[in-house]
Amino acid sequence: MSPDARWTRPLTVDEAGTPELLGAKAHGLVGLLRLGLPVPAAFVVTTEACRVFLASGAFPAGLDAELDTALARLESVTGRTFGGSGRGLTVSARSERELPGPANSGRDLPGSVRSEWDLPGSLRSEWDLPGSLRSKRDLPGSLRSERDLPGSLRSERGLTVSVRSGASVSMPGMMDTVLGLGTGADPRAELRAAIRAVFTSWHAPRARTYRTLHGVPHDLGTAVVVQVMVDGDRDGHSGAGVAFGRDPNSGAPGPYGEVLFERRGDAVVSGGSDTLPLNDLALREPGVWTDLTRALTLIEGDLRDAPYAEFTFESGRLWLLQARPGRFTGAAAVRVAVDLVEEGALTREEALLRVAPAHLERVRTPRVVLAPGVEPLARGIGAVPGVVTGRAATTCAAAVRMAAEGPVVLVRPETSPMDMSGLAAAAGVITERGGPVSHAAVVARPLGRPAVVGVGAHTLTDGDVVTVDGTAGLVVAGRPEVTTEATLPHLRRLLTWADEISGEGPDLPEVERLRAAHRFLERP
Amino acid sequence: MPPVTTPPDLLVLHGLRVVGFCGLERLAEATGLSHEDVESELIDLAVSGLVTRVPGPFGGWGPTEAGRAADAERVSAELDRAGARDLAADTHEAFEELNAEALDLCGAWQLRPLDGVVTANDHTDAAYDARVLEALADLELRTADVCAELALALPRFGRYRVRLARALERARAGELDQVADGTDSFHTVWSQLHEDLLATLGIPR
Repeated sequence: MSPDARWTRPLTVDEAGTPELLGAKAHGLVGLLRLGLPVPAAFVVTTEACRVFLASGAFPAGLDAELDTALARLESVTGRTFGGSGRGLTVSARSERELPGPANSGRDLPGSVRSEWDLPGSLRSEWDLPGSLRSKRDLPGSLRSERDLPGSLRSERGLTVSVRSGASVSMPGMMDTVLGLGTGADPRAELRAAIRAVFTSWHAPRARTYRTLHGVPHDLGTAVVVQVMVDGDRDGHSGAGVAFGRDPNSGAPGPYGEVLFERRGDAVVSGGSDTLPLNDLALREPGVWTDLTRALTLIEGDLRDAPYAEFTFESGRLWLLQARPGRFTGAAAVRVAVDLVEEGALTREEALLRVAPAHLERVRTPRVVLAPGVEPLARGIGAVPGVVTGRAATTCAAAVRMAAEGPVVLVRPETSPMDMSGLAAAAGVITERGGPVSHAAVVARPLGRPAVVGVGAHTLTDGDVVTVDGTAGLVVAGRPEVTTEATLPHLRRLLTWADEISGEGPDLPEVERLRAAHRFLERP
Repeated sequence: MPPVTTPPDLLVLHGLRVVGFCGLERLAEATGLSHEDVESELIDLAVSGLVTRVPGPFGGWGPTEAGRAADAERVSAELDRAGARDLAADTHEAFEELNAEALDLCGAWQLRPLDGVVTANDHTDAAYDARVLEALADLELRTADVCAELALALPRFGRYRVRLARALERARAGELDQVADGTDSFHTVWSQLHEDLLATLGIPR
């Protein structure tokens, strides 16, 4: 990178830019590089460049030349040619932005990207939240979805181009992401078009509304991360996944997540694919598994919190694409805070501040306890908390009919107004598609029906007895054990520490004991 | 091309197709017809085998398979008579953009981050609720713009504007269930408008 670069920054261990300049994701990637972890080569187009673009409608003077310089660096690092034939270098452009949090818990960590819809405990990421697909007409006509390409072209490296909506930002699903650039007739022009598209999507009405709602200034702009693509679908030793350092449902130690072999990361989080439990990676790619668990340990040590990471492995080699705190809630948040104290990573005071009163209010939400070795029938996004067991009904007519004889779980691809009678009759809801604000979720919420959405393919038929855990996003066969007390020993310990600090006693309600400790710890 | 006014029998049949199983009250609200008119049309439609009544606590009137087929055929023919097929397709495309935002807002009405935890909105923060309602009102105006031309060609689409605006008006007056809970809430009417566009264009879900 030339020393006079003004609008772009290479991502290296020496990069000292703030999250405000680089965006949270790029900033987090620098953190991973400093831990010595493998991150695909990348550069960032800064928020300053975006602000100039948004004000003037054009790239700032000099950015064009800088893009060529930055690309040349990616080429020299990888030894490949952008837009070249054969296995050419392809890059992705992602929008990036650190959001100052309106409801900040006071423990914001570098690289963290908070959002309302990023529900911890559900294995979905900022990559691509369901419901976030934007119209392709927003994007330059030369960009085509990977799926549109004939198979023969897809198999040749450097010819895949996909265009996706935003995400990987703190306004998940609101802004554009363009993957696999560098394959068309004029890749450099395509890269510029993609950066422009991402910049422009900052002002999409939906993004504006989101910012208005959450008190985010409209003039911040977004950075763009331009990163070498690693191919999770390259060969039999490739794949992608998401991983938590600990179980986001219970807080129990040990990696937890999902993996797909010979697929790209967007397939993992789209909800449309049958992902495998992360442990399958240990059996099939032990080398990748070892590197991943080591990385999770390093990241946890750095964050001093249970981490979340998105990864791809290409021909047996691990690459990290994002990492941030896992942002566990409820019982899992309590357990992780207490365990981290016992492991010497946190002080008791820090642990108390990690647990928000809102977590305690849902510590006793009923949860399914999976027996050892039992896999759920399906996993999705927990949209409405609670556990319910009932007989599956795959049509509303069946739900209405069967509800006369006992609890029914409505199972639909997605719901529409035509499903209202079924939703009203059902005790629980499962949908194949959709996210936390899908029709089914919005309707089930005020009805208090536990709901899991976006489970993807399943084999449920009318009459199957199933249990829905709307916190963990699990669908389990039969009637598994249900608990409201999984975390009680940890909770008791945490509250004892709270009492020691505040001088209050166990006669107070639990939330008040925690609040008293917070007041003491947060006094000026 | 002059506007094509939907006859009352099709209004009721298509109303059931879009609203789903429901009673007279809701059908009258959705179509803008009187209870008596709705009832009389339902009887005729039932005689023709196009609608049926399911008994029980979650029952109500709904279209039969033949009713769904007849509705699809008739709304499609009506669309062509109005010369509005391309217009409806453009409206639908613009609506899909707004749809994501509408769902965001209904979600934000129900849930909000509290100390970093996504929590049910308990509606004790009047300023937050007002922000959501203001954003919904802004969205409703833009939706009215998007649907205005189609409502000129096919006046039945004008009914959604009335219903959406009324739900928001009632929500602003303190009826909190008018945003995302009730059978005539903003979210319910919105999803019916969505369904209507899909059904009218014959797009499967």
